[in-house]
Amino acid sequence: MEDFKPLISECIAGNQKALAELYHHFAPKMFGVCLRYAKDTTEAEDNLQDGFIKVFANLKTFRNDGSLEGWIRRIIINVSLEKIRKQHLMYPVEDVSIYDSVNFSDDVIAKISADDLMKLIQELPPRYRLVFNLYVMEGMSHQEIAKEMSITQGTSKSNLARAREILKRKVHETFGELKAQNNYTA
Amino acid sequence: MKNTNNIDELYREKLQNFEKDPPSYLLENILASTAVNKKSRKMVSWRIAGVAAALLLAFVAGWQFNSREQLELKPQTVMTQNPAPKTETETLIQAEAKIARNPSESSNAMVASLPEMDQAKSSKSIKINSISETEPSPPINETSLLKPLDSRFSKIPNETASIKKLHERKTKEVTNDLAERSIDQQIMEQNKQLTVAQNADKQKAHWLVGAQVSPGYNISNSSHSAQYASNMLAAESTHSVDLGAGLTVEYKPGKRWSVQSGVYYSGMAQNSGVSGSQNSKNSFAPGLAADFMNTSVNVDASTNKLSMNSTAGVIELKGIPSQIILGSKLESNSVTPAVFTSDVQFTQNFEYIEIPLCLRYTLIDSRIGVEMMGGFSSNLLVGNETYLQGASGKSLVGSTKDMEPINYSGTMGVGLKYSLSKRLFLNVEPRVKYYLNSLNSNSSVSYKPYSIGVFTGLSYQF
Repeated sequence: MEDFKPLISECIAGNQKALAELYHHFAPKMFGVCLRYAKDTTEAEDNLQDGFIKVFANLKTFRNDGSLEGWIRRIIINVSLEKIRKQHLMYPVEDVSIYDSVNFSDDVIAKISADDLMKLIQELPPRYRLVFNLYVMEGMSHQEIAKEMSITQGTSKSNLARAREILKRKVHETFGELKAQNNYTA
Repeated sequence: MKNTNNIDELYREKLQNFEKDPPSYLLENILASTAVNKKSRKMVSWRIAGVAAALLLAFVAGWQFNSREQLELKPQTVMTQNPAPKTETETLIQAEAKIARNPSESSNAMVASLPEMDQAKSSKSIKINSISETEPSPPINETSLLKPLDSRFSKIPNETASIKKLHERKTKEVTNDLAERSIDQQIMEQNKQLTVAQNADKQKAHWLVGAQVSPGYNISNSSHSAQYASNMLAAESTHSVDLGAGLTVEYKPGKRWSVQSGVYYSGMAQNSGVSGSQNSKNSFAPGLAADFMNTSVNVDASTNKLSMNSTAGVIELKGIPSQIILGSKLESNSVTPAVFTSDVQFTQNFEYIEIPLCLRYTLIDSRIGVEMMGGFSSNLLVGNETYLQGASGKSLVGSTKDMEPINYSGTMGVGLKYSLSKRLFLNVEPRVKYYLNSLNSNSSVSYKPYSIGVFTGLSYQF
C-alpha cells in the first residue's frame, strides 16, 4: 500500500501543494463514484467538491492503519447519499411493473462504453439508483440495505429488480441495434 | 438468476474502476473553501481567546478588589486558574470526527475490503435463483459493511404503502405545485427585501447611548526630588482598586469606525502610613519605630496649618488630628521643626470627571463582536480629600496641595460587544489609562498613575 503519511502531514499543515497532490491522486476515481450516485455531471461535481472539502477538513482524524482510498471513498459516498436524502428523492417516481421484461445478450453490455453505461445509471430514479449502487457496486446484501434504508428486504429486492429492468430496457432501447448489427455481421 | 448475476458482474466490471478527470475549477473551489474554513476556525479561536482574556482580567480585578487587605498580588495563583477552554470549533470537529470514526474501523475496513470482495464475488460460482428468492451469498465482513451508512437512511419510509398511494401523493403534489411555487416566490421576495433592508440598516449611521461601571485598578507611578523624598510619608501600597461609572455617547457613521464620548466619574486613592522605609522610622521614637511612623511636618505659624510630604503631593492638614502626637523641637529645629508620631494611615482621595474622546474600530461584527478603542480624556478634578484612618475610625483631616485642576490621559482597550437584541448590547471592555502629565503641579513631585479597568455596561442603538 502506498504510504501517504508524509503527504497527509503536509495537508494537515495546510500546504496547498500537498492538498492539490492528494486531490489529483484520488479525484478521478472518486469522480467516477460520484457520477454513479448522482443524477447528472453537475450534481456529481458538487458532491465531489463537498466530499473533498470534508476530506481535507477531517484529515487529522484519519488513522494511518487503514486504507486512505477507502476512507475517502466512504466520505464521498456518504456525501452523495446525504445529498439524495436532503433532496427528498427517495420515493419511486415510476411504476415499472408495467414494462415487459426484455432479454438481450451479455455482449451488448460488454460493448457499451463505461461513459454510456454511467449515463443510463444516472437516469435511474434516485431510489433505484441507490439500491443498485449499494447492491451491485458496493456489494451490500439486501439485509444490509434494508437495515440501512429502513425498508423491508422485499422492497430492497423489488427496487433492485426494477433498477435492473429499467437498465435493461434502456440498454435495449439505446443499444439494441448494436446487438442486431453484431448478430448480422457475425 | 444466473443471467442477472452475470449482468451485475458486467456492470461492476465496467464501472468499478471507472475514472474520469473532474473539471479543474473544482480543485480551486475546494482549496478556497479549505482556506476559508481554516481562517474562520482561527477567527473563532481568537474570539474565544478574547473572551478568556476579558474574563481573566475581570477575575483578576474582582479578586484584587476582594483582597484589598493583601498587599501583594500572587500572580502564580492567577496563572493556575481556569485553563483555556476548548474552542467550540474543536469540539465540533471532535464530535464529527467521532461520528466519522465510529462507523470507523469497520467502515475503513469495509471500503478497503471492497476490491478484494469484488474479486471474491467475481470468482464465485454463480447460482441461478428467481428474483423473489434471491439473496446473494453474504460478502466478507458483512456486518462491517453496514456501519458507514448508519443513520443515512433513517428517514426513508417503509414501502408497504402501496404504489397507488404514491400516485395519489404525486398527483396531489402536482396540483399543489403551482400554489407552492407562488408561495415560495413570495417568501423569496420578502427575504430579498429583508436582506436589502438589513444591509441598508447596517450601512446607515447610528447613535449609541450607554451606561458603564468599572472597577479600576490604579497603579501608582511617581518620582520625587531627593529633598522631598527624605521627609515623605511612605506609600503604603502602590495600587488600589476604585470604582467608576458614567454615561457614553457614540456616533457610528459606518460599519467599522465610530467616535465615542461621554461623562465619566472615576475615583483614585493613594494610601500612606506605616512603612518599612528608614526615612519614616527614625530615632524620634525608637521604641515605636516598628509600628509607628515618624514623619517631619511643617507648621505654618500664620495660618496654623500643618503640612507633610506624601507620594501624591503635600498633604495639608486643617489642624492636629486627634489620633496623632505632634512633637516639636525634638532635636534641631533647623532639620526637623516638628514630627508626627502615629500608627494611623492617610488616604488621599481624588475624584475626577472624565470627558473622553475615543475612536473605536469594529474588528468582528457579529453577535459577539470585538472592538478596539483608543483616545484621550480630559480629567477635571472635582474631589480632593485626605482622610485619616486609625483605631478610632476614619476622619477628614485635609487635602492635597497643588493638585492640577485639569489633567489629560490616554486610554486604549479591546472589548467584547454582545447583541442582547437588535438594538441592545452588552459591553465588556478592559482598558488601560495613563496620565500624560503629573497630577500635582509641585515641581518636586511627578505623580502619574495608570489604571486598568474592566468597563462593563449596556448600550442602546438608535
